[in-house]
Amino acid sequence: MAGESMHSVETADAGPSLYGLLAEFDNPNDLVRATRQAYAAGYRKLDAYSPYPVEEAWEAIPHHSNRVPLAVLCGALAGMCAGFGLQTWASTMYYPMNIGGRPDLSWPSFIPITFELAVLFASFAAVFGMLMMNGLPQPYHPLFNSPRFATASRDRFFLCIEAQDPLFDRQDTLRFLASLEPREVAEVEN
Amino acid sequence: MSAIPYNTPAELLGEMDRTRSRWLLAGLLGLAAAAGGYFADPQRFFQSYLYAYVFVFGLAMGSLALTMLNHLTGGAWGIMIRRILEAGSRTFPLLLILFLPIALGVFQIFPWAPHEVAEQDHLIHEKSAYLNVPFFFARVAGYFLICLFLSFRISRLSAQQDEHGAEPYYTKLQRLSGPGILLYGLTVTFFSIDLIMSLDPHWFSTIFGILLLGCQGVSTFAFAIMVLVWLMRQRPMSEAVRSVHLHDLGKLMFAFVNLFAYFNFSQFLIIWSGNLPEETTWYLKRTTGGWQYVSIAIMVLHFFVPFFLLLSRNLKRTPGKVSKVAGWLIFMQLVNAYWLVMPSFHERGIHLHWLDAATPLAIGGLWMWVFLGQLKQRPLLPVGDPMLEEALHSGGH
Amino acid sequence: MENTSTVKELSLAERERAAVIGPGHTFATITDKIASIVLHEPSPASWWLGLLIGLTLLSGLGLSVGYLLFKGTGIWGINIPVGWGFAIINFVWWIGIGHAGTLISAILLLLKQRWRTSINRFAEAMTLFAVACAAIFPVIHTGRPWLAAYWLFPYPNTMALMPQFRSPLMWDVFAVSTYGTVSLLFWYVGLIPDLATLRDRATAKFQKIAYGILSLGWRGSAVHWHRYETASLLLAGLATPLVLSVHTIVSFDFAVSVIPGWHATIFPPYFVAGAIFSGFAMVVTLSIPIRAIYGLQDFITLKHLENMAKVMLATGWIVFYGYLMEIFIAWYSGNEYERYMMINRQMGPYAPFYWALIFCNGIAPQIFWWKKARTSIPILFIMSIVINIGMWLERFIIVVTSLHRDFLPSSWGMYWPTIWDWMTYAGTLGLFLTLFFLFIRVLPMISIFEMRTIIPQAKVAGVHK
Repeated sequence: MAGESMHSVETADAGPSLYGLLAEFDNPNDLVRATRQAYAAGYRKLDAYSPYPVEEAWEAIPHHSNRVPLAVLCGALAGMCAGFGLQTWASTMYYPMNIGGRPDLSWPSFIPITFELAVLFASFAAVFGMLMMNGLPQPYHPLFNSPRFATASRDRFFLCIEAQDPLFDRQDTLRFLASLEPREVAEVEN
Repeated sequence: MSAIPYNTPAELLGEMDRTRSRWLLAGLLGLAAAAGGYFADPQRFFQSYLYAYVFVFGLAMGSLALTMLNHLTGGAWGIMIRRILEAGSRTFPLLLILFLPIALGVFQIFPWAPHEVAEQDHLIHEKSAYLNVPFFFARVAGYFLICLFLSFRISRLSAQQDEHGAEPYYTKLQRLSGPGILLYGLTVTFFSIDLIMSLDPHWFSTIFGILLLGCQGVSTFAFAIMVLVWLMRQRPMSEAVRSVHLHDLGKLMFAFVNLFAYFNFSQFLIIWSGNLPEETTWYLKRTTGGWQYVSIAIMVLHFFVPFFLLLSRNLKRTPGKVSKVAGWLIFMQLVNAYWLVMPSFHERGIHLHWLDAATPLAIGGLWMWVFLGQLKQRPLLPVGDPMLEEALHSGGH
Repeated sequence: MENTSTVKELSLAERERAAVIGPGHTFATITDKIASIVLHEPSPASWWLGLLIGLTLLSGLGLSVGYLLFKGTGIWGINIPVGWGFAIINFVWWIGIGHAGTLISAILLLLKQRWRTSINRFAEAMTLFAVACAAIFPVIHTGRPWLAAYWLFPYPNTMALMPQFRSPLMWDVFAVSTYGTVSLLFWYVGLIPDLATLRDRATAKFQKIAYGILSLGWRGSAVHWHRYETASLLLAGLATPLVLSVHTIVSFDFAVSVIPGWHATIFPPYFVAGAIFSGFAMVVTLSIPIRAIYGLQDFITLKHLENMAKVMLATGWIVFYGYLMEIFIAWYSGNEYERYMMINRQMGPYAPFYWALIFCNGIAPQIFWWKKARTSIPILFIMSIVINIGMWLERFIIVVTSLHRDFLPSSWGMYWPTIWDWMTYAGTLGLFLTLFFLFIRVLPMISIFEMRTIIPQAKVAGVHK
């Protein structure tokens, strides 16, 4: 099977529709090592794919952003303000009413809802922020064209160098990837 | 197999001795001042002494509890501070001696103690089967027996583990810690009722024991972090403790800061909403006459500010920073002890006195002197603990 | 240390890390084993039997709720002075059961307890279904939910009123709906990589499309994983105080009133501990049959069950501590109503229920001090049922004994549930079972991608900066 893919690389028709080159590994050590080497070789449009989170793999691609914590903080603060603001406005300005002799601004009673809304908004920010930053949902992606890529969600690890990378050269990059001792390298069509 | 030599270097021992004598000096000065205060104003002396004692006692009890907790749950954080906690829990003999002034002042301190009171006050009369002087002393004796037994048994097993290796001491420590934690829970509960809650003999709150448990958690974690960072200037801790350990300890301290706020707010909201006269008195005293500023200060400076500071991962992993926050929390716990005890005596308003500074200095100084003496007696890491190797390498980088 | 003792120590450390997964598994075997339950294997007979029981009970729910809507709350046992009966008891019981799911998925994640991995998925599912069961009661408890909707929405209502934010019932609405929403998000986020696995393994066209849509196009990119892991950790950090707050607020429903037996400051922590206690019991009740039916003994090992037994022992003691403090402070308060409340609980008409509760929650769990009991499947299963009953009795005692003796003896009364109360309660059990059996049929009941992380091959070796 491995030989077959290698073969397909050589005979494939060159064209603008190439998405990138995909190297397959069968363990996380090789993936991390290969990713580091690719980064060191100057490639920037690259990504590693693994069936479970591999901390070292994303650390090997240091030039990406992760603003999830910031989004969560903003969400929490917004929820806090919304919760306390809503209750304060409704009970002191919109329709003040004497309930059991408690003051209009019964701040101790407002804490629970303030807290709940802070958590709610922060959770929304965490989930939808994460999905947005990852560009999900994205039902179609060129990588899904590679028949081997389905194993990225089972037991295989992939390194993809994209054709858009300024250093990308079909033959050089192929040779470079082959030197990283992958199980195989395949072309991915757009 | 480990690169870290476990014995404490002579240089560090010398530094510990110097620090120790400084604390002794501070303690003796504080004691002299407090003794002078006793002759000037005995009533005030007892009050100030009680709050300082409750605070320092919390450090010893908290140390004992966290040692047992770590034996039960495991975790590298506990192995790094094990020796600090064990030394802290070996201070009960000193605390027994330091209990003497409270024992002597029982009639001046506790409003329920004099006989005439129970005869005139119906509610106190109703409670007199519990709130009476002989039973009070019997209970206090019980607390000390439990704490002394647990701390010395655990300390001894730990020493044997150092010497002979893990088994059977490792299993024995776990077996003892389960029931030990239960005894601790009951001890801290009734300790809090006897020494703090009964200052307002009409007042009652079922969460109070857990509230004090939360206070002890904050102060003990803060104390352990401070001592650990102080020890990190030299081998072996400079090599053993990595940022991941400080991070875990910081997170646990953060958790207790939140629990402390949670217990306090729960109690407050339930009493505030219920609005029953026999319960609200306790909060009325603490929200009038200047005490409200202390209440707000605790809310802001013991919860909001540390909360936002401790959210930062970087802060928790930087020894200098996390130790500063820990120091601040220890101070706030002292303020909190003051807030728990003092308004019951001074309901008309806050009234600071120089004895309030002298008594923590006296008790704290002597306690630190004993603590450091205990700390230097053993290797700073539990060398016989089977989980030590893993703890030293845990958490990656 | 000498060499011999080093060897001994290591073996002990190994023991501490004892098997949270059977030996010999690889990324592929884990994936195939769990995914095939959903994708390829026919459902075993016991699955059909379970679903049938669930659906039978569920039809009872339909019947009893239908009759309730037709006739009104008069068909229930509630009356003055016990105006809160089965509806609130079962609401609190179900919400409490849900809490173990969040605890396992969030708090144990923060505490780096790796043994949580194989049980967190279905524990989270259990949370969602328990919240769904709980939510039924507030909706139907007025007997005329369409009127409630008519008068309540939208805000401000026709009288220009806004909700009463000083009321704990209002806090409860916010707490439970936030809890349900966040649990759903957390659960779904955890599912995304596994849905991608199912998408890539599915052979039937419908499965491919369904899992394809649900997996949002997840492809396991390292950059995505990074943000994903951050979001998961932060969600865990948010869910931890949330789960505490939910049962705290449930306890406020009682505690901010002035009813003796309800108005106790210990209620928040004691309710939270009780919730975790009963929730873990429910996880044990569910996981024992499941691991047997689907042959998952390699993934849900004895170590898991033993750890859950330890959690039950610990939280059981917090609950028992709560009972002891209630007794002590009832006496210590010197308040005659408080004292009477406790005497009535222990010696009044509901005393057998009180002592049954003390037995189930206080005495029986002490068997877990023995390792033999913690690792014996029959004992664990029986104890999990006993604890579930005990925690239900606790809510019954709190609700009913506190209300049925009013301040004036002239307004004393008794509360006994009717057949319709029982049918509604059994019906929610049916709903829970039905949802649960459907869940294990269509979604991976164990987190596949997290199971991959706990085998030794998953570690990237010796590359530290």
